[in-house]
Amino acid sequence: MKRASPRVAVLALLFAASATARAADPPTEDKDLSLIPPSAETPPAAVTPVAAGAARRIFLEDAFTGSWLENDLLPAPPPPPQPRWEERALLDVRGEWQVDDSLRLIYSGRLNLRAEEGLGFPNHENLTNDLREAYLGWEPVDRLFLDVGRINVKSGVALGFNPTDFFKTRAVVEPLSVDPVVLREDRLGTLMLRAERVWTKGSLTAVYAPAVSSDSPIYTSSDLKSLNPMFDRTNAHDRWLLKGTVDLAAGFSPEFLAYESQGRVRFGANLAQNVGQSVVAYLEWSGGRQGTVSSDALAFGQATGSLPAAAANVLPGLGAVAFRKQIAAGASYTTPLPRITFNLEFLYNEAGFTGSDWDEWFRTGSAAGPNSPIAGALWYVRQYAQDQQDLISRRFAFLRMDWVDAFVPKLEVSGFAETDLSDRSTRLQLGADYYLSDHWTVGGLILLDSGGRHSDFGSLPQAGSVLLKVVRYL
Amino acid sequence: MKYRKRWIAILPMALWLGMTAVAEAQTAREIVVATDKVRNPEKPFRSTLRLTEYVGGQERDHDSLILYSKEDGATRQFRNLVQYVEPARDTGKSVLLDGHSLWFYDPNSKVSVRISAQQRLIGQAAIGDILTVNLAADYTPSIVGTETIEDATRQPRTCWHLELKASNELATYNRVEYWVEQGSFFPVKGKFYADSGRLLKIAYFRKFTQQLGASRPTEVVIIDAVDSALATIATLGEYAYQEIPEAWFQRDYLPHLQAK
Repeated sequence: MKRASPRVAVLALLFAASATARAADPPTEDKDLSLIPPSAETPPAAVTPVAAGAARRIFLEDAFTGSWLENDLLPAPPPPPQPRWEERALLDVRGEWQVDDSLRLIYSGRLNLRAEEGLGFPNHENLTNDLREAYLGWEPVDRLFLDVGRINVKSGVALGFNPTDFFKTRAVVEPLSVDPVVLREDRLGTLMLRAERVWTKGSLTAVYAPAVSSDSPIYTSSDLKSLNPMFDRTNAHDRWLLKGTVDLAAGFSPEFLAYESQGRVRFGANLAQNVGQSVVAYLEWSGGRQGTVSSDALAFGQATGSLPAAAANVLPGLGAVAFRKQIAAGASYTTPLPRITFNLEFLYNEAGFTGSDWDEWFRTGSAAGPNSPIAGALWYVRQYAQDQQDLISRRFAFLRMDWVDAFVPKLEVSGFAETDLSDRSTRLQLGADYYLSDHWTVGGLILLDSGGRHSDFGSLPQAGSVLLKVVRYL
Repeated sequence: MKYRKRWIAILPMALWLGMTAVAEAQTAREIVVATDKVRNPEKPFRSTLRLTEYVGGQERDHDSLILYSKEDGATRQFRNLVQYVEPARDTGKSVLLDGHSLWFYDPNSKVSVRISAQQRLIGQAAIGDILTVNLAADYTPSIVGTETIEDATRQPRTCWHLELKASNELATYNRVEYWVEQGSFFPVKGKFYADSGRLLKIAYFRKFTQQLGASRPTEVVIIDAVDSALATIATLGEYAYQEIPEAWFQRDYLPHLQAK
């Protein structure tokens, strides 16, 4: 170091000399200064302090949805018919209030004022309240959290389908979008006791959700309850969940889960890993004893009085309870310029329909008359899968994109395509939100279901829809 | 014999050049370490960050964030927790960066999703732009020369012109040009490049004020070099030393992160 110092001094002199030589011409670097917006040269001297702990989001939204429908479907879907239009105004509130140093109150809910074709006006279904969360959180010692109340416990690293999101079943209420990301946001929590401990190298969460109600038939848009918290959807059975994360290596901390409901245990795992600056690879898996989607739908339909025992004679894909797995494997990639994030996933549900199950579903349905109870039973399986937030078929491919500042600043474009790999039918949704200001957002989305008439998405009553919305954040 | 004489002449020159290169490398690193210390307090701290976006010279909108930063003793790199305060549509969202781990928590979906550093979450800025970063930990620096350039207030500053090459995959950019004022080690300007060599962003550091015992830049002007109509002013403030337990850097702590 001692020997190096004189040479550094010589170098510094050389550099200084070269800088002096350059001083005759204005350095090209200084041209960059002209790119600073003149109005940004003198920003306000007094900066308002950032409001710490303002954990509240309240917004008003008005959304109109118009749909176009398929005609002469076989098998014909049961009533009520799909509405061709819906108008909804809603007040969405999510807030967190600190009661004292260790106690906090959390509320999340949505008050909907809605009208739709065939619903009638006025009646009690014009006004519905989705009580998503209401719970008390207590931190008796640092990083030990005890919560009681209605809580949304969600799990999973994938976007298109979450095999480990065990509390998703029956919890989604009248979403404005079928984007799986949105479905996660607008759903009911479960009444539960939750204990969570976060350590330096991991965390552990234990959940007990008691049965306080009993199974009820699957809801449709015309029989929603106005101000009822609908615990029948979330707390019809005792349920347990134990999950934890552990740091196994730098940047690698998998999550493992065990869940029990109605005597059936499922295990799950979530793995995610960054690969370079632009890619994240992930895998979500769950496995446990369950029936096929048809046999579980049949059992649920019979328990709630929605299906006769004879339905067993017409449903395809019935199977005994066995160990079955669900998988979502994928990766996200962010392009360099423009910055668009793509998520590509392979989704698998071993309990779902196979291609031959679909063939049988359509064959049986086509033979039945339009008003036949057989058609109703067949459609019930699909309604059940949707109500459970499960995949109806075994294999899907899912692609989602999100583009911030698309074409112009403040325009966010997002969309997804979901393809049933058994018949190549596809659901495609493309949406755009334009952030007019910090408080105003306008947006819209278009949904298209495409495929042959004897395919998963091609046989749905709705061929497509358009939604327009305006949002005011308060 | 002739050759021997030549070697006698060449050898000291080669040694001199070699030692100079070593000295330059050491000095460049020392400069970057010193300028990192200007930007970043050495003890765990909390600060606020306001991002004001300009489109075509007009102020467009704002983001407000709270940052918790703590240096990892092993890697010398900062670990960060970011909590969104404004705008209202993003309130409560939070991000964790701990080495290879980058997690984004959205209180609306109530799940933590692993994201890449290139994902854009906050206006024009990539998440990697707004975090507290020790450049010395992720880049290999070298001295390009000494230059006198104008700072953001158009005052001439005699600077080391440094070139920083990404030395590991945690670096947000492949290459950075950096100008550091001689004597004060104040960062004056930075230019940030993509893997393709394309210039992505230009940053000017300004408004140096006393924060946590040192004079630090409290504003960074970030110019989008791809679309020069876009610019962001990052205003740092409300610095405070704060104990940040290790457990806060677990992704499952994100839902519990309150402005404490």
